[in-house]
Amino acid sequence: MNWKAYKNELIVGLAILLMLVGFLYKQQQISGQTDASAQAGNALHDIKEVIALQQVWGDKKISKKVDKLKTLVSPSKVKWQKKSKKVTATFSTLSAKELNKVVSKILNIAVVIQKLEIKKVGPSYTMEFKCKW
Amino acid sequence: MNFMGNTKPLLLVHKQMQKQTLNAPVNLMLTPQFYTLKREEVPVQYAYQAKRIAPSLFDGLIEEQSHIRYFVSKEEDGWLFIAYDVVQIQDFLEQKGIALENIGKVFFAEQIATTMHSPVKIGEKEALITHDNTVMIVPQSALEEGMSFKKIDDMLTPAKGVVLEGGKGSLLETKDAYILASIFAVFAVMFFVEGARYSGDDNAQQEQIALVLEDHPSLQSSYARKSIAKKYKAIDSKERKKREVINTLSHMIFKGVTLTTFSLNDTKFQAQFSCQDATVVKKLEDLAKKEKFNTTKVANGNAINIGGIL
Repeated sequence: MNWKAYKNELIVGLAILLMLVGFLYKQQQISGQTDASAQAGNALHDIKEVIALQQVWGDKKISKKVDKLKTLVSPSKVKWQKKSKKVTATFSTLSAKELNKVVSKILNIAVVIQKLEIKKVGPSYTMEFKCKW
Repeated sequence: MNFMGNTKPLLLVHKQMQKQTLNAPVNLMLTPQFYTLKREEVPVQYAYQAKRIAPSLFDGLIEEQSHIRYFVSKEEDGWLFIAYDVVQIQDFLEQKGIALENIGKVFFAEQIATTMHSPVKIGEKEALITHDNTVMIVPQSALEEGMSFKKIDDMLTPAKGVVLEGGKGSLLETKDAYILASIFAVFAVMFFVEGARYSGDDNAQQEQIALVLEDHPSLQSSYARKSIAKKYKAIDSKERKKREVINTLSHMIFKGVTLTTFSLNDTKFQAQFSCQDATVVKKLEDLAKKEKFNTTKVANGNAINIGGIL
């Protein structure tokens, strides 16, 4: 092969090769950065999600919020038993309005509802409620 | 004379030359058999300007072909223009066993018109002489008897020569090749610089993560994060489901419907509704089915049980 006769083509070919290598390098860096950016985005999303979950279900004021349940109706209608982070409560002779109020309040507190039983007794309702947090 | 340190042997190229066997690169000196020359006084100052007008000077003298090249040289009272056919020369050299890769620079006999003081033998019958400041080939018989011949030696190598290129095989000329190569090289540099800029980390997001973790140091470890997320995600999905069920059932209480019993624990729920008539039972049943709850009508009465798994 007489390479000298094709010296000029060789020079141009090498320059094209160099350009292609540069282009591939750039593309690789872009792709690498996109991946890194996606990973960082996912990590940030995960961290924020954990923080949000922790704020809802690990809220230190849950105990106080649960205690407010017994103040929603007359104390004579409530039997309240609280042990550590668990509450067992029995509400009796509740009107439909009172029942709604208590249930709505329970639904808005971030506790694990272990048991919720409602029975209509005559014109009123009885409710048993067990939760933990 | 060559003061540029060009040490390659100088080989005179003429039509009568023998086939060569070369082991090392050589410089070539072409006899007038391979070129056409003209001396002109033209009002140009630089070689590139002279080269530009060279083709017009040979109009009618040589056939216009793409493989004609021009050599120009400034002389005391004008310019020397030489036109040569690069393909014809390359073909001839190949026939004589001179491979292109063994050719260094190519010179023209005309360049040594002033330094060649004795005739140079060309084959058996002809000789290269300088006459009227022009190098030409004449029959040896035309020379004075007893005249001594000299051989072309390296000392006669001129300073300026040409490189045989752009003829056979090569599609590009050196100038074009360098222009193209420069353009591609500039692009290559641009791509490398841009690539290097992209190689830096996405600092904005990293800073944001660092800020968030600063406020919540317990989440620094990804293991801790996964553990907390696993714990709370399970609770979150289960408790959301329970609340959705209670909300859905509460929407089923409308005029003519009374909740009789309801129970819910970690795994299932069950509610019984008493209705004022069969139409309301049917409506409630449809609503429950729409929510994919299980329904059971209570015998002997307008009541319905709705239940499901959590």
